[in-house]
Amino acid sequence: MSEELHRQELCRGVALSTVTDAKFKSNRISCNILIPLSWETAAVNAIVPFILRRRFASCPDFTRLNERLCELYGASLDGDVRKYGGYQIVNLSIQGLDDRFTLKGEPMVRECCELICDMLLDPYLEDGAFSAVDTRLEITNLVDTIQAEVNDKRDYAVSQCASLLFEGEPFAVKKYGREEDALAITPASAAQAWRQMLRTCPVEIMFIGSGSSGAAAEIFRRRFEAVERQPMPYRPAPVSAPLREPRWRTEHMDVKQGKLVLGFRTGELRTERELNAMKMMSALWGGTPFSRLFVHVRERLHLCYYCASRYDRASGSILVDSGVEFENREKAEEEILHQLEAVKNGEFTDEEFENTVLYLVNGLKSTTDTLGGMENWYLTQLLAGSGRTPMENAAQIREITRREIMDAAAGLRLDTVYFLAGKEEEHE
Amino acid sequence: MNKTEIRSERVGESYFRIRHPSGLTLLLCPMPQFNSSYAMFSTEYGSVDSAFRLVGEKEYFRIPDGTAHFLEHKMFESEKGDAFADYARTGASANAFTSFDKTCYLFSCADHFKESLEILMGFVTDPYFTKETVDKEQGIIGQEIRMYDDSADWRVMFNLLDALYVRHPLRIDIAGTTDSIAEITAESLHKVYGAFYNLHNMVLTVAGNFRPEDVLEVADRVLKPAPVLEVERLAVEEPREVSKKRVEQRFPIAAPMFCLGFKEKPGDKRQNAVDSILDEVLGEIIAGEASPLYRRLYDEGLINSTFGCETLSGRDYIATMYSGESRDPDRVCGEICDEIERMAREGIDEEAFQRNRKAAWGRYVRMLGRVDSVAQALMNTWLSDMELYDLLDVIADMKKEDLEKRLREQFDREYSALSVVYPEE
Repeated sequence: MSEELHRQELCRGVALSTVTDAKFKSNRISCNILIPLSWETAAVNAIVPFILRRRFASCPDFTRLNERLCELYGASLDGDVRKYGGYQIVNLSIQGLDDRFTLKGEPMVRECCELICDMLLDPYLEDGAFSAVDTRLEITNLVDTIQAEVNDKRDYAVSQCASLLFEGEPFAVKKYGREEDALAITPASAAQAWRQMLRTCPVEIMFIGSGSSGAAAEIFRRRFEAVERQPMPYRPAPVSAPLREPRWRTEHMDVKQGKLVLGFRTGELRTERELNAMKMMSALWGGTPFSRLFVHVRERLHLCYYCASRYDRASGSILVDSGVEFENREKAEEEILHQLEAVKNGEFTDEEFENTVLYLVNGLKSTTDTLGGMENWYLTQLLAGSGRTPMENAAQIREITRREIMDAAAGLRLDTVYFLAGKEEEHE
Repeated sequence: MNKTEIRSERVGESYFRIRHPSGLTLLLCPMPQFNSSYAMFSTEYGSVDSAFRLVGEKEYFRIPDGTAHFLEHKMFESEKGDAFADYARTGASANAFTSFDKTCYLFSCADHFKESLEILMGFVTDPYFTKETVDKEQGIIGQEIRMYDDSADWRVMFNLLDALYVRHPLRIDIAGTTDSIAEITAESLHKVYGAFYNLHNMVLTVAGNFRPEDVLEVADRVLKPAPVLEVERLAVEEPREVSKKRVEQRFPIAAPMFCLGFKEKPGDKRQNAVDSILDEVLGEIIAGEASPLYRRLYDEGLINSTFGCETLSGRDYIATMYSGESRDPDRVCGEICDEIERMAREGIDEEAFQRNRKAAWGRYVRMLGRVDSVAQALMNTWLSDMELYDLLDVIADMKKEDLEKRLREQFDREYSALSVVYPEE
């Protein structure tokens, strides 16, 4: 088993990280462009991967491109946007069978790498701009995506809470940007955004799978060397914690069940040990099916159908989200905070503590069994400035003490409480 | 004990099929290069099993809607406590789910495999229901039902099934309704458990980093031989005709969502599973990303990346559904039906057939590279009276003529229905 990450700089600001393991039957290759988040540019950057996914110069037909993917044994080619802390990540990825499993020994790795380079570096342009037809369609799709956030009430409530919590900070910017900015995109402005990101942004290429990464390194180096680049360094946005009184906000919608989200700030954590203690604290409080929030708030008191906490290291926050009956809103909030107080005071058993360690360690070890899990882990490690393997992190987790968990809980500050309630006339 | 190795020459892999003396079937696929293991303990009992009788009984016992799902929740509880608390001590990540034709209990772990397996086998074979615990669960599941009521994805699909089927219990939500679960009692749960959680009706599938001897050791210790029991399910007489051609609902969402379904004529369960793979490829040929129709609909802004096709199949049902967001669901529905009719008349393009078959091959081989998908596929194929690698044979042996026949006979506009969820005005 090999789970080690090998990272090499291919050219200025372009690095290739590879993890190869013969147990996989396929390879996952992705190009990740790291762009500082801002409201003004979020939408125009977000549209780029979707326009690129339509066609490229040497394959100017969308249907032909998709036929090509079928011929590559149904390789999946995706363009999307992610978010990490104060960065927006434009992600183009391809996942396909390894050469060994093809029927005629086709060179899948080479084909997939060339294809992703064609898409990112040599798009289909008309007079230097993207196609007007493609741009118009993708604007519509982007606006739909932005508007569709409201469809899933659980995600919507979490997103609303995060926007309030981080008001005025880059973390508040949504990964697809704002509707009004999406509507203002033109074929020229989108092409300009594409040029700008290629010229100035760091690029992290990930290669995870069973194939030979040598071919990938050769292809990506050759293709990226032809691009004129003046990359800025990657600088994670600082985690801040403005001291202010907690704020409450209620929104009304035609929903059958209320969604309550509590936003907390962790403040700036300086050492890896503190970060790991916060991760453990969040898991013990509300991150497992035997956590305080699950056992007490859901199972014992029946205040919520779900109630869980998630820690985001990049923005220094923990969000607790729950689905509650309207009339239980206050009791649920009280109990969630009560359980935090209990963790702070060390009112948890050694067994709860040890079980949380086991749970996290189990998750970390399993991370290396899927391509997506590995890509996500190592990309996050690179962005967070550490290069730990999941096994190393498991060892770090085992070192955290009860006292450190109590301290982590004590450092948490409630900042924002958001509630998605039913229609006013019915429930007030 | 009857132990057979099932091999695939095509991918050079194998797994073991073991008939345990208790009556349980074990399907074990060691994948020692992986760190984790994935185990599923499943019974062929789901929400569509609405009435049954044991051989010798006269009357059918009518099962309240939502019982399978209710039972799944209750199984985690024993006299000593709840199974999640036991799993907490092994670090395994555990879960369970109920679908139309099965209930599955599962865990994934990287360490302490044997201990976790013992917990899994222990609680699934140890029913414990009392009036108090049943009453308590009714409240919790009521909340879960309300959560699904707020999910537009869920509603658009169940509204479609309600339109496609006249009598078949596919029409009914898996979790039932607040009223139907109020009818569930400790006695009814015991009766249903006794009939369907018989080890002869169940399978344990495991894939990943584990030793088959460990599974046998735990099975020998925990499982008691089950009596052979013949359960007769009440057969549903479902006509080919649909109940409604169209159904609508309004919801607080951004863009309209639709689900277009073709109600197909079912065969036996193996046949339905084979047909569902043919339909999967057919669905792609008709409107997959590499099809001319997809291109036309996408370019006109009628569909977006949420558009997709899937086939739902089980013991006595099979239906293929296209779903997604659209500004004009009726247009999309009309275009898909027109394209099917054109293709049925003119035949399927040979290159399109070869391409899509190759893509399906790639998807299934890739699936064999994950421990969770292997354990799930072993379970699904067992439910369909198939072996895992038969899936690859179905793709390799697929003929264009077979697809054309299905296109003409099963994808019929007359036996289709459209479900739409519109934004509120």
